[in-house]
Amino acid sequence: MPLLFGLLILLFTAAAEAGWDFPPAPPPEEFGNLLIDRTSTKNKVKPVTFSHWSHRRKYTCQVCHSELNFAFKVNVSEITEAENQAGKYCGACHDGKIAFGHVKPNCETCHNGNRGYRKEKFPELSNLPRTRSGNRIDWVSALEEKAISPARFLKVKPPPGITYEKTLLLESEWERVPPAIFSHKTHTAWLECSNCHPEIFNIQKKTTKHFEMKMNLAGEFCGVCHMTVAFPMNDCKRCHPAMKEWP
Amino acid sequence: MKKWLVIALLVPVFASFAFAQTGTKKRRPLPYEYGEVVIKNYSSTAGLSPVQFDHWLHRAFYTCRLCHVDIGFAMKANATGIKAADNMKGYYCGTCHNGKMVHGNRKIFEACATKYTKDDLKRCNHCHSKGETVRREYDFSAFIEKFPKERFGNGVDWEKAEETGLIKPIDYIEGISVKRPPLATQKDFAIAAKVETMPEIVFSHKKHTVWNGCELCHPEIFAGIKKGATKYSMTEIFEGKYCGACHVTVAFPTTDCQRCHTKPVR
Repeated sequence: MPLLFGLLILLFTAAAEAGWDFPPAPPPEEFGNLLIDRTSTKNKVKPVTFSHWSHRRKYTCQVCHSELNFAFKVNVSEITEAENQAGKYCGACHDGKIAFGHVKPNCETCHNGNRGYRKEKFPELSNLPRTRSGNRIDWVSALEEKAISPARFLKVKPPPGITYEKTLLLESEWERVPPAIFSHKTHTAWLECSNCHPEIFNIQKKTTKHFEMKMNLAGEFCGVCHMTVAFPMNDCKRCHPAMKEWP
Repeated sequence: MKKWLVIALLVPVFASFAFAQTGTKKRRPLPYEYGEVVIKNYSSTAGLSPVQFDHWLHRAFYTCRLCHVDIGFAMKANATGIKAADNMKGYYCGTCHNGKMVHGNRKIFEACATKYTKDDLKRCNHCHSKGETVRREYDFSAFIEKFPKERFGNGVDWEKAEETGLIKPIDYIEGISVKRPPLATQKDFAIAAKVETMPEIVFSHKKHTVWNGCELCHPEIFAGIKKGATKYSMTEIFEGKYCGACHVTVAFPTTDCQRCHTKPVR
């Protein structure tokens, strides 16, 4: 019996390795959009729609994911109406001063259960540099060219950032696939070190070499952001620049 | 024979788990949860809930050194092995929580008893409160409202709160602490980072001795008093060793990289 179990694990691993595929791509105006429903339906209100594209043009990732302590997975942060009213989470900005308030006539602006809510505003971003996947917006270039200037903090100013600009060459697990090039600089423009280190990527040299594409696709490692919010992994060449063709 | 085959097959599977970091994000404690210690060595045998100890409340009134050196609390949860009998004899929590010690204009409530009425149980729940719905005497948000803000941990800049006199932590208890002449504190010094282009760490003895004196860190955590005598890495710090003995769980967390790595390398 234990032998069978061991063999099953091995078979399963092999099957998963052979059979991975990309999830279907949502329309550009819905890429990075979430429906938050930790307690909404239970409390008889519609789930909250949240669009990353409408927020990331004004705020870097670290504002919400460090300063405001939003988790990197939907329905994990313990957002409640009371917390929002007390100026935590969404309420840090949605206070009627920085952004629309958490008051009666505005409920349906968020609690509408519609993932594509306000897609008519998406064309406002049409002047930003283009790319071929995700929101079809090249957010990295948009920031570099100063087409957008998202804020790096909200209330508590962080000490001057660490300028760590090393570019890493990550060898691929398959012979035919050229290495991925990782730039710290393009990441620290949006994030701070502790958004990724040490939880997602430890800091010991060459100890992340075992992470594989299928783990990324399962939402681990690079996949914590890339696929759901940051550009999706279908855009192979953006990480593996020496790859020949677009699948 | 078969057993060996199974082990041989499973070893590579488990080895891959051993090397696997989580690859995902853990839940970050909320400001009021940061520094919370759950003590449960003997609580359940006494039929009580575990003790919930909040650092944020105590550190506003007392220095770290007072509890962790003079009173002798270990630096790891549940490593002290506190017993009700110890508290009743005036050790550990009972050093202050004895119904006699005065703080401000009131007596500090007494911890632990062998005989108690049903009404007294409410007093037990003051501390044995983990998982209980106890109305707290100090509300976190109200308590920290006027304190200078910081990004992580409790969201409080404790160092600044002390510097500006918003809090005046007590460092001496009659009969427990020893009166000593203050030592001249060393100057700040830089610790080179191991990774190229990472800013160096600027370590300030002055900032640390306010809370810790010398003896909280030396010689147990940092053996030598000579610079460079103790070798450690960032990975060990993340694991809760060296600086991580405090800066992972109670003092501002390691997420705040730039707070230590402040000196840019040319």
